[in-house]
Amino acid sequence: MLNVRETGVNFIERKFAEYYAETLEPISPISSFTQREFGFIPFTEKIMIRHRGFTGPEELKTFITSITPAHAYYSAAYYKNPEAPMAKKGWLGSDLIFDIDSDHIQTPCNNEHDYWICADCNIGTTRPLQGNCPSCGSGKLRSEFWLCETCLELAKAEILKLLDFLIADFGFQQREIVTCFSGHRGYHVHVDEEEVKSLDQAARKEIVDYLLGTGLNIEFHGLKKTNRTAEWLSMGPTLSDSGWRGRIAKGVYDLLLSSTLQQLEDLEGFTKNTAKRVIKNRDRILEGGGKSASWGLVKGVGPKTLKILAMNGAKKQTSIIDPVVTMDIHRLIRIPHSLHGKTGLKVVTIPFNSLEKFDPLKEAVAFPEGRLDVSVTEAPAFRLGNEVFGPYRHERVELPMAAGIYLLCKRAAKDARIPS
Amino acid sequence: MTSMLLSPPDLAKYPFTKESRDYIKGLDLKVDELVDPDFVEALNRAEQRVQEALRGGEVKWGSERYYEIEILSYPIAIMLVASIDDDFLGRRYALAEAKRAYSFFREERDSKRLLEIAGSAFDWRAEGLASNANQSYDYALHFVDYLRNASKIRSDPWKLVNRLVINGMVFLNKDEFARLLSEEVQKHVHSTITSSPKINLPPLILQRIARITQILAERREKMRVEELPEKTMITAYPSCIKRLYDALLTGRHLSHIGRFSLTSFLVNVGVSTEELIRVYTSVSDFDERLTRYQTEHIAGKKGSGIKYIPPNCDTLKTHGLCPEPDEVCRTIRNPLSYYRTKARLISRGNTDAERA
Repeated sequence: MLNVRETGVNFIERKFAEYYAETLEPISPISSFTQREFGFIPFTEKIMIRHRGFTGPEELKTFITSITPAHAYYSAAYYKNPEAPMAKKGWLGSDLIFDIDSDHIQTPCNNEHDYWICADCNIGTTRPLQGNCPSCGSGKLRSEFWLCETCLELAKAEILKLLDFLIADFGFQQREIVTCFSGHRGYHVHVDEEEVKSLDQAARKEIVDYLLGTGLNIEFHGLKKTNRTAEWLSMGPTLSDSGWRGRIAKGVYDLLLSSTLQQLEDLEGFTKNTAKRVIKNRDRILEGGGKSASWGLVKGVGPKTLKILAMNGAKKQTSIIDPVVTMDIHRLIRIPHSLHGKTGLKVVTIPFNSLEKFDPLKEAVAFPEGRLDVSVTEAPAFRLGNEVFGPYRHERVELPMAAGIYLLCKRAAKDARIPS
Repeated sequence: MTSMLLSPPDLAKYPFTKESRDYIKGLDLKVDELVDPDFVEALNRAEQRVQEALRGGEVKWGSERYYEIEILSYPIAIMLVASIDDDFLGRRYALAEAKRAYSFFREERDSKRLLEIAGSAFDWRAEGLASNANQSYDYALHFVDYLRNASKIRSDPWKLVNRLVINGMVFLNKDEFARLLSEEVQKHVHSTITSSPKINLPPLILQRIARITQILAERREKMRVEELPEKTMITAYPSCIKRLYDALLTGRHLSHIGRFSLTSFLVNVGVSTEELIRVYTSVSDFDERLTRYQTEHIAGKKGSGIKYIPPNCDTLKTHGLCPEPDEVCRTIRNPLSYYRTKARLISRGNTDAERA
């Protein structure tokens, strides 16, 4: 291997093949294995190989090592005939799944690590020339996620909120919930429980709306008109309430404690004066929602104001899941422990209790050993393991294997060489 | 939940329960025996059940005295409907039986009774809540059972996000519980009809079937002629709207966007909300008040006061509601413009319309 240069793709494919051949753990803890459909995206073609079924993990492993895919998926759905064409598969049910991607979340650092890949010459860039690829001039740039600690932390915060919903509101047990880091920009949650398998799309949409707070109407959660104004609000939600009621109270709390006068003024429907009155009465409102539920007893802060506060507070209590993934009852999702072709990181399942301290940039590293010499075109800074790398621009660098593979996968580097 | 003791009047009220089915099974009847004079009353009542469904949209409470006839007439009615094998009739009958059950559910004094029916007939996981003074909930129902039935009801209070949900259970008052239970009855009756095996029926029963088929045809004709907006130019409707309208008339379930598109289209071409509500409630809807609210909302008579127009063709395409675009479709971006263009072409004469 000494001094032999390989193209990026060849090199990644070879390393992926080694990983799949060597990894001893069964490729995945998938239930009802034989009823699942599997799908793969190879390195060389962009067409997905799908409608595959396997007798068990061993056969799947044999297949994966024989083709070495860039991406590997299985269906959240169960079928009578997983290998049949879609219309003849015989849908039996589907796990309830959730996808939280950091590109769905507003993050403060988005433009610090903007990154595009050119569809024509397949080279990555951080600074397009007037929207065009600086290498070949093509206009076909597609934006790509760049591994970022802040973005992934925010995604994790959404996952923690999601898990709270799933356990406290929906009553699932910890053991029924599997959380994975996707190997790229977010997390997947699988609920593998008998009851939910039969839920149709309309029902799953209701769960999505519950988590996103879509269609939430405060009037059904205690802030409701009755004949007497005082009573109107004295039934308001409190911090000790369960479900959305408690979340609304908590949301108003967080909003009032964290907002400046200016931020309150910016709320839709608020004037300077309302914002001032709210700030002035802040403690008394908090007291009302917190203990006695007497939302109505604060002078100068009327029902309309409280409603706006409640709706804005509720916004921050939602969990930003991707609605399409959850509603799709035929969805293919990444196989746990498989590799992600855009990063070279592995999909890792995260034990429930270690989620909070889980570090994806460390624990998803699939190639912890060796070093790699690559020629980088352009790359923003990134962390992997305990080290921070870059930014790089047109230079040849020697990196730990995982970081080198990451840059190759991102089309930010080429000419891989194992240093002597 | 197995110790339910349903009296004969209960079995007559709730003929879809396991107990009622067991009771009928115990009689061990054969289809050929139904022509025996002993069963004339039951056959009469069965036919009446179907007619009530077609005419009034709700099966009524039969004779107070002859529970056995009432019980027996239910599976016979199902057999009649199933052998006619008409989608509209099947749905309409299921809805009519559900409405009947709903009115009995609401009359039940003992809250345990609904719980027993829900558990034994439909395997619902539900609990009764101890009543106390400031309690606004009577039942807690597992969210999967809730969603299976409530996700079809399109209104704010039924959205899961607006419910109290704790530890997998959704909290409901008695009326809401009864309403969901009748949704389940509707589904159950409908699937009983569609899964009934085809059997050869004796001539005496075929006569009854012919009578029902006759009423069905009349009923359908009446709906097309009277309740269809005559003053609008139906021939100028785009195919997407025609298809939605046909789906509605055969009692099929419309998606939210499908229903919105149809309603906003019809309202904009001059169909009155009264006409629309009549069409909706006669075919598919449970709750006239809700239908009225939604329709008036779209017509701009309620809520924001905005009169809505149908979604653009692009959006309809995305939702798979654009089945067969034609020549005129290429020139327009919204079903309403189609209507205006096509209506103009038609009034100019058929030759022109064909050329376009």
